[in-house]
Amino acid sequence: MNTSQLLLTGWTWHPVILLIAVAASAFYLAAFGMSARFGYFVSALGVVLLALVSPIAALADGYLFSAHMLQHILLLLIAPALLLLGLPPSFSTPKLLQKIASPVVCWISGVGAMWLWHAPSLCNSAVSSRGVYAFQTLSLLALGSMFWLQLLAPRHEQRLNPLAAVIYLFTACVACSVLGIIFTFSPVTVCSIYQHPVERLGLLSLVRDRWGISAVQDQQIGGLLMWVPMCLVYAGAILGQLARFFGEPATPPLNPGRA
Amino acid sequence: MSEAAAAVIKPVSLLSDEQREHWRLAWLSTVDHKRIGILYILTGLVFFVFGGVEALFIRLQLSVPNNKLLSPDTFNALFTMHGTTMIFLVVMPLLFGLANYFVPLMIGARDMAFPRLNAFSFWLVPFGGILLHFSVLAGGAPAVGWFAYAPLSETPYSSQLGVDYWAIALLVLGIGSVGTAINIVATVLCLRAPGMTLRRVPMFTWINFINSFIVILAIPVLNAGLVMLLIDRQFGAHFFLQGDEGNSGSAIMWQHIFWAFGHPEVYILALPAFGIVSEIIPVFSRKPIFGYEFVAGSTVAIGLLSFGVWAHHMFTVGLGHTADLFFSGASMLIAIPTGVKVLNWSVTMFGGRIRFTTAMLFCIAFLIQFLCGGLTGISHAIVPLDWQTKNSYYLVAHFHFVAVGAIFFAILAAIFYWFPKMSGRMLSERIGRWTFWLMTLGFNMTFVIQHFLGLAGMPRRVYTYPDLPGWGWMNMVSTIGAFFMAAASLLLLWNVAISLFRGAAAGDNPWNAWTLEWATSSPPPHENFHALPPIHSRRPLWDIANPDRPDPVVGSSEKPEVAKPERTTVSVLAFIASEAGFFGVLILAFLFYNATPHPGPSAKSLDLLKTGLFSICLFASSYTLWRSEQSLERKDNRGMIGWLALTILLGAVFLGGQGIEYWGLFKSGVNVSTNLFATTFFTLTGFHGIHVCGGLVALLIVLALALAGDFKSGSSHMLKAVGLYWHFVDVVWVLVLTVVYIIPHFR
Repeated sequence: MNTSQLLLTGWTWHPVILLIAVAASAFYLAAFGMSARFGYFVSALGVVLLALVSPIAALADGYLFSAHMLQHILLLLIAPALLLLGLPPSFSTPKLLQKIASPVVCWISGVGAMWLWHAPSLCNSAVSSRGVYAFQTLSLLALGSMFWLQLLAPRHEQRLNPLAAVIYLFTACVACSVLGIIFTFSPVTVCSIYQHPVERLGLLSLVRDRWGISAVQDQQIGGLLMWVPMCLVYAGAILGQLARFFGEPATPPLNPGRA
Repeated sequence: MSEAAAAVIKPVSLLSDEQREHWRLAWLSTVDHKRIGILYILTGLVFFVFGGVEALFIRLQLSVPNNKLLSPDTFNALFTMHGTTMIFLVVMPLLFGLANYFVPLMIGARDMAFPRLNAFSFWLVPFGGILLHFSVLAGGAPAVGWFAYAPLSETPYSSQLGVDYWAIALLVLGIGSVGTAINIVATVLCLRAPGMTLRRVPMFTWINFINSFIVILAIPVLNAGLVMLLIDRQFGAHFFLQGDEGNSGSAIMWQHIFWAFGHPEVYILALPAFGIVSEIIPVFSRKPIFGYEFVAGSTVAIGLLSFGVWAHHMFTVGLGHTADLFFSGASMLIAIPTGVKVLNWSVTMFGGRIRFTTAMLFCIAFLIQFLCGGLTGISHAIVPLDWQTKNSYYLVAHFHFVAVGAIFFAILAAIFYWFPKMSGRMLSERIGRWTFWLMTLGFNMTFVIQHFLGLAGMPRRVYTYPDLPGWGWMNMVSTIGAFFMAAASLLLLWNVAISLFRGAAAGDNPWNAWTLEWATSSPPPHENFHALPPIHSRRPLWDIANPDRPDPVVGSSEKPEVAKPERTTVSVLAFIASEAGFFGVLILAFLFYNATPHPGPSAKSLDLLKTGLFSICLFASSYTLWRSEQSLERKDNRGMIGWLALTILLGAVFLGGQGIEYWGLFKSGVNVSTNLFATTFFTLTGFHGIHVCGGLVALLIVLALALAGDFKSGSSHMLKAVGLYWHFVDVVWVLVLTVVYIIPHFR
């Protein structure tokens, strides 16, 4: 198989996933109706599908740790943010969630999800067992939503103060960078299942010979993805918060002589 | 205002008549931010003479091919001392001095948040400088370059004490820098005048505020590397040195640690310079800064990116294409926020009524030279180009364009702009112009040609070179340029000296500037302001001068964006962030060095059960301390003292447990240099133990104060602050316990 064949045929149209996607859209339209926000919701679904049915998923299925990392970024960082943006401002999150979703809990959810799922045994079993894989996907989406809730909650009054949000995001960025740095420079393999892939789809020669990605390089790319692009997502969000901080419209001039 | 106007006629002095009688003591014992600022600047200027003379010797040696003026060893020592001095003892003190003097004035505060910490941080600078230079007497200055690459900096290759003094001096200076940075953060957050919301602070203040976070987070990384280097050199460990099997460290690790600090350090030097020009260009263009929000936001962006791109200093190390690719991309991104800044400064000048004062001339030269330095910087982000030009004079030219052409020119602009405020007298503009043109000519003669020298293949750090075509005359031009710069520096010192006695009286606001430091006398009285003008915008003095067309009001005074926090809490949290950086590096180093098992002692030989029991004592002490705080809130003095005493006891038991563990290891012949596990184990747990000791001392002080009845009122920021620190030390132990004891046991 070569690269273009992979891009064309590497899609796994799993009926359950597609069914859930269609059902979710229908549910969204029934509940909130058609609006510009539906675009965000559709892109959130698109990102989830990209992570789960595209060639990325095929490669993440035992071949490339880096593809698996890309999946993580899409499911934990991108999709939940778009999902929250897609909700109308009138939407109120469940009472129970409001109660437990303190900034500390949300921070630990987002960052903890990244750390926990990369404990070697969990990382391996998410590849070898379909059940664990499904659970991982759902937990990433849920915990990612928890993380972004502090910044993108539909109700603005539930969002963090912009400067507190900067600290929230910066510390998350540091925590993910540390894990990325460990993967990038670790002399040992983190997710050993990717070292000797089980040849399920016949992609091994493409990955190793044509693309020339060795197992060591693969882990490095994974670590670097987590370190650099992931941090850029956080950095972008920080700039967004600063825009919020500075964005309050200027009031008309006030005469200090008369004030 | 009228009293201040009356004071203009006779420039007031920083010292009162009474203090003048014992002026030595008045300066030595001062805790006033203005005098400390001046002391910082004077110290920076003194070391500038040292670093400058070193540079002249370097240029003299290189002026002609096959020169024998200096021996190779002397040359190595000179460029090492030149680099270290200019970065840590000239530019950082000068910038900290300016921040110290002007940040409190700009936000309408009376002083920094912690005046005594401020004095302590300052006095560490001369102390560190003396330590560094004492190495010359103690057997030889360091001769390993300012980044002291291992293994050259290790004992087998640099056996004299120079590198040890270098490392200890940098540790001392680093501690001072973190102290100042914490102080600036607390000052800006807690001491702003009424109406001076965080969205209205002058750009110089905002940038120093952001910069302080970079200092707080980057310096501890260097400190961790320095203590590792010292452990290697003093105790025969092998963090960065090859050794026997199981005891063979990594020289690349030093580079990672050094540049993880070193790249943010570049911005620690550059950002305050950006802050300076962001004040001066608007004033002399008679326009408010264009796109304040973008200049402010891009500062944050630069700060964020600075921590993620250090590996671009290591493209020639051989990190592999994968890493090179990512870091090349990330490094190029920095061009965006810096480009935003250059654009904003340029557009600020565009269409303005520009007054070409000396300060403004330096800013304009800054703008052009920084642009050049930035562009050659981008060329270093391109990996193959970097492979060719790294370690050549092209790189030397690049970083001098940023460090001198941008940063030092901005400092010169600041001296001309703010000298009237600090001294009450104007610097001579006539001599100033001569200084400017000599300096600009000299700078460009020295460094423009070095780009071509580098592209022609001349490597950096060679003490002499063969007579290759073109090299001789290009080096000669460069050397002559350096002497032009020296002449310009002498003119500046002359200007300062005569202006202090004969300069024209400055008055409160000689430049018709708009920020609060110009709303008081020159120099300002001890308490800074008699009365503050109302603050509704970013240019309060413009609003007063132009009541019919004031600036738009920014935000609202009544609803500030952030509540003013308590300053002790802010400072302890900032300190904890810094400590977290330090322990973060030590923990990562432990993980890295113990990724594969070594022959000899290992984590498996540790007694998990015993350590677990002692750890419980430490964790329990966090609980008892919390109970103590609760008691204090209920004004239950006896309960507070009881819980506090129990906390101290539990902490001491933990330390005792650590002592028993160490004793057992020593008895079985394991010490810090046995193998990499032992080295990293003792380093990590030892530094944690030292921090527990520090926490215990702090708790004992609190206990003594409590017994003396100081907290009867029921509120003590001190207990809360020490408590935060104690909890932090416990959290670090959770990580250490997991990484050192628990994970290896179950692997």
